[in-house]
Amino acid sequence: MSKVRLHDDALPATNEPLRVAVRRLRWFKAAFRRHAEAMAAELGCRFEIDEAKLAGAFTRWLDAIDVQRPADKSRRREFFEFAAALMMRELTADMPLSAIGVPDRAQPGSPAAFWPEGYCCTIFCLSVHAAATAQEFHAETKIDPAIDDLRHWWSFRENTMQDASFSAGFLQLLLGSPPNWMMPDVFRARIDGTT
Amino acid sequence: MTRPPLVPGDTAPLREALRGLRFLLRRGGATVADTLAIEALPTPAASLASRVLREAEGIARSVESVAAKAARTVLGGQDSPSLSLDELVARPTAEAEFGQAIYLALSVVLRRLGAADFFVSEMAARSAFAVWRDDRLAGALSFHAADLTLRLLEARVIRGAVADKAGRIQAQDVDAVAVFAVLLWLQATRSDSENEAALDAAADIALARAPEVTDTVRSGDMARIAALYQRYVDHV
Repeated sequence: MSKVRLHDDALPATNEPLRVAVRRLRWFKAAFRRHAEAMAAELGCRFEIDEAKLAGAFTRWLDAIDVQRPADKSRRREFFEFAAALMMRELTADMPLSAIGVPDRAQPGSPAAFWPEGYCCTIFCLSVHAAATAQEFHAETKIDPAIDDLRHWWSFRENTMQDASFSAGFLQLLLGSPPNWMMPDVFRARIDGTT
Repeated sequence: MTRPPLVPGDTAPLREALRGLRFLLRRGGATVADTLAIEALPTPAASLASRVLREAEGIARSVESVAAKAARTVLGGQDSPSLSLDELVARPTAEAEFGQAIYLALSVVLRRLGAADFFVSEMAARSAFAVWRDDRLAGALSFHAADLTLRLLEARVIRGAVADKAGRIQAQDVDAVAVFAVLLWLQATRSDSENEAALDAAADIALARAPEVTDTVRSGDMARIAALYQRYVDHV
């Protein structure tokens, strides 16, 4: 299990369950902005957010959830994790973040230094997922040590540039679920899923 | 909790007139500057034209400054009301409050959509709302909102909108997307503290889905428009 620090403390307070709040753009935007600020402080750079791209990613994510949500309620928890992977796909498909300046507080050779924008989006998806999972299922999210391995990030960045669906597989990998690399963004095609 | 009326006195016609004057001056000055190719004129005519244009701009600026001050004086509060469409309909001052709400909200949304200049008619919005309220039958809120959307567009609540150079949205689509965003916001559940963020979110959703929104609204099919509102109202 990785010791990577999630930023669920940067998520805005809400009276609604997180699974509901995260599907409201006003909360999603506030959470993303606060998270980017927290990450920027940690890494020593600044992040600019393209709000139009962020809204585009959000609406595509809603569509993807609606299309892929399983009718079988027993797979709810499994889909919870998959929804985070779909969020990751949409954020990397049209990256709403730009790092300004060098992340000089990030350890040289670390994933954060290698790709600050991708790292920030990854930690955001993991943070939201971990907080929502804790609230819904009273379970702790464990992050795979792969997150600290720069070789995974090389592959992640290179493949995601060609096909954003790869990032959905990467997030599943970080959450400890082996992805179906042929169709990493199709819930029905999950390796341990039933079709 | 009972909210106080947002519009204590009816100053809307005067506000409308002042806003119209300011818009005319802004647009007129810009049009003259864009149209007059001074550099193509022979020297004596060019210097004369430049002087006339400078003087005209000076007059326009001073008149606009007076109009802006007068408008601020009669405008009163500028906060966007956080009433929902359902709440607004039930209030005795609904027409005036709706007019004020939609003027403020459309202005915010149009700027967010990148409209460089525009005129929003509070009076046209009030009239459209009054007729819509009288015609309403029982039914889902989203269906009524769809009906009101079409009436507001027909009443040309937004006039002379010019898209910015960033090209985030086509000029001919600005009005449909903006009205959709504001009506989406008016249907959304939100607290006072979330009001502005909710309006921004509604505008961002409408902008992200501009082709779908424009196509649906332009179809004039109220069932389709209502379905689009239902699709996004819980996600604002």
